[in-house]
Amino acid sequence: MKIKVINEKTNKAQEIVASSITEIAQKLGINLEEVIIVRNDELITEDTKLNNHDVIKFLSVISGG
Amino acid sequence: MCKNCKLKPVIKLPNSQISLCKSCFIKYFERKVRKTIRQHKLFKKGQHIGVAVSGGKDSLTTLYVLHKIITPQKTTKLTAILIDEGIKGYRDETFEFAKKVCKELNVPLKSTSYKKEFKKTLDQILKKNDIKPCTVCGVFRRYLLNNMAQKLKINVLATGHNLDDEAQSILMNQFRNNISASARLGPITGIKKDKKFIRRIKPLYFLTEKEIMTYAYLKNLATPFNECPYAKGSYRGEIRKLINDFDKKYPSSKHAIINSFLEILPILKKNYKQSEIKYCKSCGEPSSQETCKTCKLIKEIK
Repeated sequence: MKIKVINEKTNKAQEIVASSITEIAQKLGINLEEVIIVRNDELITEDTKLNNHDVIKFLSVISGG
Repeated sequence: MCKNCKLKPVIKLPNSQISLCKSCFIKYFERKVRKTIRQHKLFKKGQHIGVAVSGGKDSLTTLYVLHKIITPQKTTKLTAILIDEGIKGYRDETFEFAKKVCKELNVPLKSTSYKKEFKKTLDQILKKNDIKPCTVCGVFRRYLLNNMAQKLKINVLATGHNLDDEAQSILMNQFRNNISASARLGPITGIKKDKKFIRRIKPLYFLTEKEIMTYAYLKNLATPFNECPYAKGSYRGEIRKLINDFDKKYPSSKHAIINSFLEILPILKKNYKQSEIKYCKSCGEPSSQETCKTCKLIKEIK
């Protein structure tokens, strides 16, 4: 499956070939403890099934200062 | 699916791995805050609670939930306090957001700044002095928060400290062999009876950053990603990574740090009994030494 991942800081999209959120996180070096996941403005959990061409965004939960 | 009502989940809880939908999660979150307030006696009905707000998700969530909890208790009063450190491109944005949320909740917001109180912004101080940003910023902010809280006749001051912050502080003190500092941690801190020292409370003590961000997102309290330019490469950041990587491999480690710490906290408090409070000879504010850290720093910085 091809999934578009939006970068929170730059708002740029990156296409990742993966079958699950865990796989995407692994590929991007993201710890799922440190993000929440948004698809179409809705929060989803890390075990949510993805569809081909889904657009997702990881939002950092780490406070700024 | 949500464990209770089989709807679409918004979170898998970090500790128990239970999935919850939006409405069940919000109930769970608020119940946890209420339980913390009750079990650790954070405040009493009829008191005046100050909330230190920065405009970030933790402090605004603290304000939002406390507002929701105390609204039926008509006698309890809430005031938000904001300290503008003067960090260009960072605090100005969150400041505006904090103002907006306070207005929506109809909570009075009182603010001051380093510029007003110390004649310099944090940016100006760090440009001319080779000091650790978080040290000077923390000392000044705590000083002003306590000072404003006194003036506003506030009984307790709530901060947005969460489970992750506390677990990091515990390990940091451990790694630096600074256990006396851990004796001053916990859901409620400060000296019980001192008219000049306002006790601090942490209503989000048992909630993780991930849970708070989820709540903040659902309640529109989350600001776009924004990082303090001075926090990069901090010791705390490294400890955070260490704990989160470990927790990923061995779930619940983070919660275990907190729960085991709370078991030994009464012993630590007994062993490191706070010496009698003194008052700074130059400003009169509470201090552990003759001259408080703030006055010492003011003298040192150019």
